[in-house]
Parts: sequence; structure tokens; C-alpha cells
Amino acid sequence: MALLSSGVLLKRDPRLLKLPPYLSFLCIAVGIAWLLLLPLNDYSRRTYISENALLPGQVHTYFAGSDQHVFRGFKHEVDALEGKSNTEVNDKLEEFFKAAGLKVARQKFEYKSAGEVYQGENIYAILHAPRGDATEAIVLVGAWKNVEEEFNRSGVALVLTLARYFKRWSLWSKDIIFLVTPDSRAGPQAWVDAYHDTQSSPAIQPLPLKSGALQGAVVIDYPFNHRFESLHIVYDGINGQLPNLDLFNTVVSIASGQMGIGVTLQRMWNHKDDYRERLQTMLRGMLKQGLGHASGPHSSFIPYHVDAITLQPYGEGWQDEMAMGRVIESTFRSLNNLLEHLHQSFFFYLLMHSGRFVSIGTYLPSAMLVAINFTIMAIYLWVKSGTPNSKSTKVASTMEGKPAPLEVAKAGDAIAILPEEITGVRERELFLPLAVVAGTQFLGVLPLYIFNHTTHSMLSIVFGIFAILNTVLPYFISKSIIDYFGPTTQQYQLIKSFSLLLLGMFLSSLATLNFSLAFLVGLFAAPLTYIQPLPGRPILVTVLSLLINVLAPTAVILAGVFAWELNLGEVLKEAAFGWDIWGMNTQVVVWCVWWPAWL
Amino acid sequence: MPQLIKYLLLLICLGFGIVSASSDYSEQLLLRPLHPSSLLASFNFQSNASWESFEQQNFRYFPRSLGQILQFANTRELHLRFSLGRWDAENWGARPWGGAREGGTGVELWAWVEADTDEEADGRWLTLTNALSGLFCASLNFIDSTRTTRPVMSFQPSNDHSNATLANLHLLHGTLPREVVCTENLTPFLKLLPCKGKAGISSLLDGHKLFDASWQSMSIDVRPICPEGPGDCQIQITQTIDMVLDIQRSKRPRDNPIPRPVPEHELRCDTTKPYHSGDTCYPLDIAQDENWSMTEIFGHAMKGSCPLMDEGATPVCINVPHARDVFTSGGAVERKDESGFMRCFELAAEQDFEVVLPSQDLPERAPLEQPLLYAERSFTGYGQERGGVQAILTNPSTTEAVDFVYMESLPWFMKVYLHTLKAKINGVDGDVIQEMYYRPAQDRKRGTQLEIRMRIPQNSTVVLNYDFEKAILRYTEYPPDANRGFDIAAAVITIGNVSIRTTSLLLSLPTPDFSMPYNVIILTSTVMALAFGMVFNLLVRRFVGADEAEQWDIRAIRLRLLAQLRTIIGRFKKEQKVVKTE
Repeated sequence: MALLSSGVLLKRDPRLLKLPPYLSFLCIAVGIAWLLLLPLNDYSRRTYISENALLPGQVHTYFAGSDQHVFRGFKHEVDALEGKSNTEVNDKLEEFFKAAGLKVARQKFEYKSAGEVYQGENIYAILHAPRGDATEAIVLVGAWKNVEEEFNRSGVALVLTLARYFKRWSLWSKDIIFLVTPDSRAGPQAWVDAYHDTQSSPAIQPLPLKSGALQGAVVIDYPFNHRFESLHIVYDGINGQLPNLDLFNTVVSIASGQMGIGVTLQRMWNHKDDYRERLQTMLRGMLKQGLGHASGPHSSFIPYHVDAITLQPYGEGWQDEMAMGRVIESTFRSLNNLLEHLHQSFFFYLLMHSGRFVSIGTYLPSAMLVAINFTIMAIYLWVKSGTPNSKSTKVASTMEGKPAPLEVAKAGDAIAILPEEITGVRERELFLPLAVVAGTQFLGVLPLYIFNHTTHSMLSIVFGIFAILNTVLPYFISKSIIDYFGPTTQQYQLIKSFSLLLLGMFLSSLATLNFSLAFLVGLFAAPLTYIQPLPGRPILVTVLSLLINVLAPTAVILAGVFAWELNLGEVLKEAAFGWDIWGMNTQVVVWCVWWPAWL
Repeated sequence: MPQLIKYLLLLICLGFGIVSASSDYSEQLLLRPLHPSSLLASFNFQSNASWESFEQQNFRYFPRSLGQILQFANTRELHLRFSLGRWDAENWGARPWGGAREGGTGVELWAWVEADTDEEADGRWLTLTNALSGLFCASLNFIDSTRTTRPVMSFQPSNDHSNATLANLHLLHGTLPREVVCTENLTPFLKLLPCKGKAGISSLLDGHKLFDASWQSMSIDVRPICPEGPGDCQIQITQTIDMVLDIQRSKRPRDNPIPRPVPEHELRCDTTKPYHSGDTCYPLDIAQDENWSMTEIFGHAMKGSCPLMDEGATPVCINVPHARDVFTSGGAVERKDESGFMRCFELAAEQDFEVVLPSQDLPERAPLEQPLLYAERSFTGYGQERGGVQAILTNPSTTEAVDFVYMESLPWFMKVYLHTLKAKINGVDGDVIQEMYYRPAQDRKRGTQLEIRMRIPQNSTVVLNYDFEKAILRYTEYPPDANRGFDIAAAVITIGNVSIRTTSLLLSLPTPDFSMPYNVIILTSTVMALAFGMVFNLLVRRFVGADEAEQWDIRAIRLRLLAQLRTIIGRFKKEQKVVKTE
């Protein structure tokens, strides 16, 4: 009985009711602080190889000597093909692969996105494992043009030379597939889709030649002639999916341990391994993960649970192409050792240096805390909307000295006599808030559809119109709601409550899939928690609404575009491309989760 | 291209002739260069024993160890296959022996067991697999009921079983796609031979070379033959080893097998290229070089002929055009075939035999026989829940349709949706399936068996598709290295006497994190220990009030010691008193 009454009393405790806003703010603060703590030595870990079978760097590499002459020969051949059409290039490549004694096949593909057509022809050659049975395969990709549309001259020549070189070895336990795609974005996707027979349109041909389950893929992106200094590893996949950390660690340990080549990531060319640099690397990684677009030909492999990375040599140094070839040889020898699919190490991690990472268990709470903030506020608003709005009457009644109406509370066999107003619950008018929230959520489909179905030339204009509309729309909607329905404060609270509840729910589930995106959206949406109608203070309202407009998805996209000096149309084209071809769902999140909540 | 079959048949007939004439043993090695830069070596050993002597356990050429197993398990016909690698039908043409002497990757076994009931047959099959497992050092004992099927259309028994036995024969078929064939299987195989790898063609069989082959298959077939009517029956054992050796790879010296880059001056470059210079080279086709010798390929020359063979037998044949230079040593007699592409050698006993094929620019090649059907099978889809299988079957013939039976035996955890089975012919839905036999799986008891009789018209491609669902296994049912996935046995395609096997597949199932049970065990143990400790404590310990408890400070000890002392002294005094009173 005591417990019961104290519980009910606690519910009415004014201190408790005041707590949630502070609590939710604390959640955000702790969430951000948590993230900032991660680069410290105590919170991040050194990377290590989990899968013992990989044995990185344990084998001697033999890719040297006269193979360099062969490489130079192929280099001349590849250089001579620069500027030729896709078909001419593939005819020649087919000849090279066939001369090496490999089976060659081609695949035509065609994608349409944002009014543009992306087409081309992939060519690939399969080196059958000498004693294997087509059950497993590893892929070596050299895109003809890399993501920056540069001609991958040394990369393709290296693929050709390695194909010849690998053919001599009899130790392969897995087939090796050499894939040359005309571009770095549509080609690999078409190939991987067709490999798993999931290609969406008949414009993408099925593969005439197949091997077994893909166990890993390595991409060479070497678009210059000179020697290089270090190796840049790109590992982000589509939708923020990442390859197994073991693959990354293998390459790092081979390159830096066996070959003495420095390894960097996230374009941090000179990493000093101090707090600032680590944090910067991590944040860059998070931003890339949050955007969820493909960062190289390897990205298309990752959604199919094929661990893949891109190796980009950079800088001016003394490492030559053969050193790059030896890194790949050693990596392939390691992958060849694998008896099982890469499964041991982490799939969810944030890297802050080539030798340091944090795993999901350590970083997840920060995004969860940000998401929880919305949930706490939603519950708070729900409770608040349900409690009688009767401060004045209460004061009045105690003033008059009349006893408050009592009520008998029963819980099991416990009975308590309490003032009625404590237990009294106001009836909530749910229909309007639910309709409004559901309406705005469905409205999110509209921009999603518009931006993925307009042509490239129109995209910028459409976006501009949309951005302007977007600033006006909330006023318009709220005005029309006020005019037509005349909602009460309670209904306002409920609208907000539902909206925040949904946001919290979406974000916390998203955090387990794409941590960075959830965190970023959560952060941008955080101010929404503290917005409430402020009648009678027009200046503050204007300032606030301006602020909110600054944090609108459209405004953030624009700001991002200006900050990185990109072309808006290109960005939107890229986004539409991602949606159409890679199955990227960042947009879904932006337009269907963030935008409605913002509204 | 049936020429080649003709040769083979001719050879076999030759063998048969000799067999029935005098000796009961024959052996034959056929070497056939294949494009690019490969060599097919087909070893065939055959011996016969009369049925009476076999029954009386009077073994001469027939291996006793195998014979006794067959008798004990009432097995009337046995086919055992060990295979590795993949036959490249595009480059190498039709398979040796029409594919009749090969199995899918791993181990494949099928036998006709004589038994009155199915249960009895199962029991004998179990005996057979376990005994063979010991004999051949293979995990054949893992062929349990879930891996055993009873094919209906794909396999036919030999014609020479007596009618009485035929009625009681049960065909059982099992595969182990995961079994890795290696030297430990070769040694017992060689032991079954009369010359045991010491002389004759079997002396060329060396594990290092055999298992470095691009494709290899070992087979044992035991079947009854009645060459002269049902009265005079014999039991015949045929052992074959076929391998495709990569000439370049085999020629590497054994003490230096690493394919290091060749020295610069040995690099064969295309000098016509404008950029050709001392450090730049466009390499020439590596497949052009086809000179080899037996010593290079097999590691050593052949150690004479097996003395158990007939006089005048030709144990080594090479399938090259007559224009090709072939040099031999050791007093061998060359016999050229009139077809122009086959020559055989009669060997002198006791002398090493060596064959050398020097470099020669010869445009002519021995004709390749085109396979009747190209088959390719792969998985479609991705994810841990569902998948699909796609088989692409191409009939290359421009004139003739091909009839065949396609058989799949799938494990029970691959749950086939038969309604999704669709055959597309040249891209459009077509009616190519003539007959189908389907035996659905039972969880943990037996696998799916699917046999489809099909007909593919000339010059057409049929794509066979079906979907399946992946079952979730209990955690004890996963094999070691569970994340590798499960090997799915090759599909068997039977076209009359010719058979083709597809490659096997690797199926990945949802796999638990196996460190989890370990964690759980540790956690549970800790909780158990804590709980037990608490309960034990409660049960055993006596609880008293703080003031009632005996105090154990120094003073208390001193007092207690004093008290003890006093009692002892008291007792002592008492005793003294007693003494005094006395």
C-alpha cells in the first residue's frame, strides 16, 4: 500500500515532471561527449587479426624481376588504348586475357537515372583454381576509369600482369576473377548484381560465365605513371556497410609490415596519430558512412556480404608498381588461405587510424543516447498531455480549505485513498495528432519521388523551388491546421509527442545499421525537441523559426554543398544514381524520417 | 567426332580380347595432349576372376581385401569414385570414357546390394560404406541415411546379372562432396593392383604429380560380366585414374617448384612491338610450347611393363598425329594406328621406358570430340534465408536433340520449392521436362532427390531454375569450420552411357557465433557457482546473534587457554588425589 501510494505520488511529483527536458538534454550532451572521447587511447583499441587462417605477410612474394618487363609491356598496350571506345578496349583486353590462358566473358549493362543513361560493357576473366571446383572465388577489380573519372592506367596494366603471373601458381584454392569495368560506379554494380542473378532490369545482361561464392574483392586504383609513396585504403560500402575488419587489417599489416609502405585512410594524407587527427579521421569516416554513397568500385560488393576494399597508391615516393603488385599478391595469398568466409572480426567499427578502431559496443551508446532523447521527450509530452491542466483550481481549492475530492485506488489487495486529481487522467484527443503525424510521414514520399524521377538538368531548379516551398510549408500547414481544426495545446503536445516518438524509434533502429547516419540526423534534429508554441513573443518566434529553417534538411544539404564546393545538381544526380543503381537508402532516411519530423 | 570413342572402344576391345584369350589382367595408359598446354593421362587397369573362384575366395588378380568386403556386404556391383578439380569441356572436349569413370568432386559411391528388404539393404550398405571407409582411408562412413539416395532413372545395373539376383538388387548412391581426395586414398588404390605401383604404368603414379593435376579422377568398378552366356560368368574389376596435367607446371623441378619470374634472357617477347626494348616486353602466348617427356611430366621414366600382362600387349598409347615426332627408349616397339592419330608401344620387360615429344611446329592436332552437352550450375540470390539454383544446359549439336536425366541429391537443410522449378529454353518458357521423379526431404532423416528427364533440341540452351529455403540447424549439427558453408554434391547428368557431372556448390547457411555457447557456458557456470555458494552457505552455516557469538580476540584466546590449562591441571590434581587415597 505504501509502495502504491508513493508510486502514484511520485508520478505527480513536480520535480519529476520537470526532469525530462533536462534529462534529454543531458542525453544529447553525453552522446556527443562520448563520441569525442572515443579517439582516446583508453576507449579505442589497436587493430588485430582475428582470423588466424589469414596469416598476413607470412609468405614470400615473387612478383618482381622479369615480370616488371611484362608489366611495362602491358602498360604500353593499355596506354595505347586510352580514349578508345569501350568495345575496342574490351576486344584488346579479351585478347590479353585469352593469351594468359584464362576464360573470358563480357557483360553489357545499361542503367537509367535522372534522365541520363549509364551504359557500358564489363569484361572479366576467370582463373580456375588448378585443383578447385568452382566453389569459391576472389575478385581483382581494375576499373578502366576510377571514381574521379581518371584513367586507371597502371591499375589495369597491373591487373593484366597479375593475371598472367597468378596463372603460373598452382596453389590457388579459390578461383580468381579479374574484372575490368568501364567505370567505377555502374559497372561493378551491374556485375555483382548479375553474379547473384538479382539484376533488376533486362538491360543488364546475365553473366555467361560464373564461379563460386565470392569471398573477397580487391580493387586497384592506380591512375598515374610515377612511383608512389603510400597506400590509401577506401573501405566504405553502400549505406554505410563496411567490409570485415580482418580484410582491412590484412592489407594494413601486409603493406606496412611486410612491404614497408605507409597506409592511410579517409584522405588523411599525413596522419600524426594524435587526438585531433584521430578525431578528424573518425568524423570523416562517419560523414562518409552517413552519406552512404559508393566510394569506389568495391562498394557495390559489400551489400552482398563480399568483403571488398579499394587500394589507391598516392604521393611521390620510391615504391613502384611492382610493390603494389606484391601487396596484392600477398593479400591474395592470405585470402587464399581462408577456409571459412571472413566472419571472425568486426563488421561494425569506426577507424581512426590504420592501427586503431572502436567497435560497435563502444560507440553505439552515443547514437542511442541521442535517439533516446527524442523518446524521453515524447513520453514526457504524452504524460504532460494526459495530466489535467488544473494548477489554478488546485490552488483555489486549497485556499478555500475544502477537502479535495477523494478516490479509492485499488491495486491487487492494496487500497489507497487519494485525492481525485492525482489519479485523474485527461482524455486525449488522438485523432487529429495521429492524422497530422501520419500525413507528414507520408508526405515524405513526395520529395523522395520527385528527386529520383526528375531529369538531371531539372534537378537544381526543382530543388530550389522545393527549398523555397519548404520554408513556407510549415507555416502553411500549421496555419491551415489552426484554421480548420483549432487544435488545443494538448493536441499540439500530442502531435509533437508522436512525431518525436517516431523519430526516436527510427533513429535507434537505424543506429544499429548505419550508426553515423543516425547520429548525424539525430544531431540535426535535436533542437526540434525543445520547440514549443510561443504565443505572444513574435520576435523570439521569428528568430527560432529562422534557426529551424537553417536546420532544415534542404538547408543542410545546401550548406554541405557550399562547404565542399560541389555542384548541387551533381550531388542530386549522384543521390538519384545511388537510389536507382546502388539501392542507397540515405534518401529514404532523409526524406521519410528527418523531413517529416522537421515539419 | 565419334572417332575418338572408336579408338577407345578399340582399345577396350583389344584389352578384352587379350583378357579372354590368355591372361586375366591388362593395363593401359593413354596420353593425349590437350589445349592449352595440358596432357590427359588415362590409366586403366582391368582384371577378371571367374565367379566360382571369387565365391570360393580364391583370389588371384582380384584384390582379396575388396573381394571379401563385397562378399560380406552382399554387393553385386560397386562403383567408387574419387575426384578433384574440374573438367574444362570447352578446351578439352568430351570427357575420357564418356564420363562413365568419374564422379563429382569428393567421393561418390554407388552399389547394387542384394537384399530381400529395404531395411536389410540399408544395413548392408552401412556395412559396405564402413568397410570401404577403412580400406580407402576416406570418410565413407559419413554416408548416412541423409546422404544416401536410391536413384530411379540415372543409373542402370550391368546387363549380366542373373535374373534371380536382379529382382533383389537395391541401388544405393551416396556422395561426400566435401571429402578432399589425397595421397592417403591413392596408396590403398595402388595396393589393389597386381603390380602395386612397382612396375608397369602404375609406376608412374606419384601422389605429388597426381594431386597437382588440374583435374583427376580415380575410379573402381566391380561388375559381373558374362562374355559367353549366363553359364560362364566372371567378376570384373576396372580401376582407372585419369588426370589432366598442366605441362608447364609439371615440368618444374621438384626441388624448386616455385614459379619465380623467369630470367630476363629467357623471357619470350614479341619483338615486333614498337616499344620492345631491354626492359619492356610484351609476352608471347605461353600455350605454344608443347614439348614434354615422360620424365618431366611424371617425375621419372616408366619402370618396365607389368610382367603379369600378355606378350604383345601395348600398354602405352599416345594420341597425337602421326606426323608428330615421338622418341622412345628401352626397346619399345611402336605400332601406329591406321586412323592417323594414335600410336601404341609394346614395351620390353625389365627396361625403363621413356617417351619424348620434342618441340615441333605442327599445325595438325588430334581431333577433339565435342561433348554432347555443356552443363553449368550455380547459386543465385543472396542472403541467409533463401536462394536459388540455376543450371544452364547447352546442347552444342546443330543436328541432334539430346535426351538425358538430370539428377540432384540435395541435403535436407536445403528445402526445395518444387513449384518454382522452371525450365526456360532459349530464354522463353518451354516444355522440355518429360518426366520427373521427386522424393522430398525429411528433416534430419533423408535428403531431397530430384530426377528430371529432359530433352533439349539441337543448338539450344535450357536454363533450369528452382528456389530453396535454408533451414536453421542445431548448433551441434554444424561441421567444423562452419562458416565455410556446406558443399552441395554435383548434379549427375546421364545421357545413355555418357555421364556428365556439374561442379559442386558451396551453400552458406545462417551460422551462429560459436563463441556464444562458450560465453553462455561460462556465464551460466558463474551464476551456478554463485547460487550454489549462497545456498550452501545458508544450509551449512549456523547463524547466531552478534552478542552470542564466540569472540576470538586475544583476550578471549588467552582466557580460553587459561581455562583449558586449568581443567588439565584440575584433572592432574584429581589424579594425584586418587593416587593419594590409594
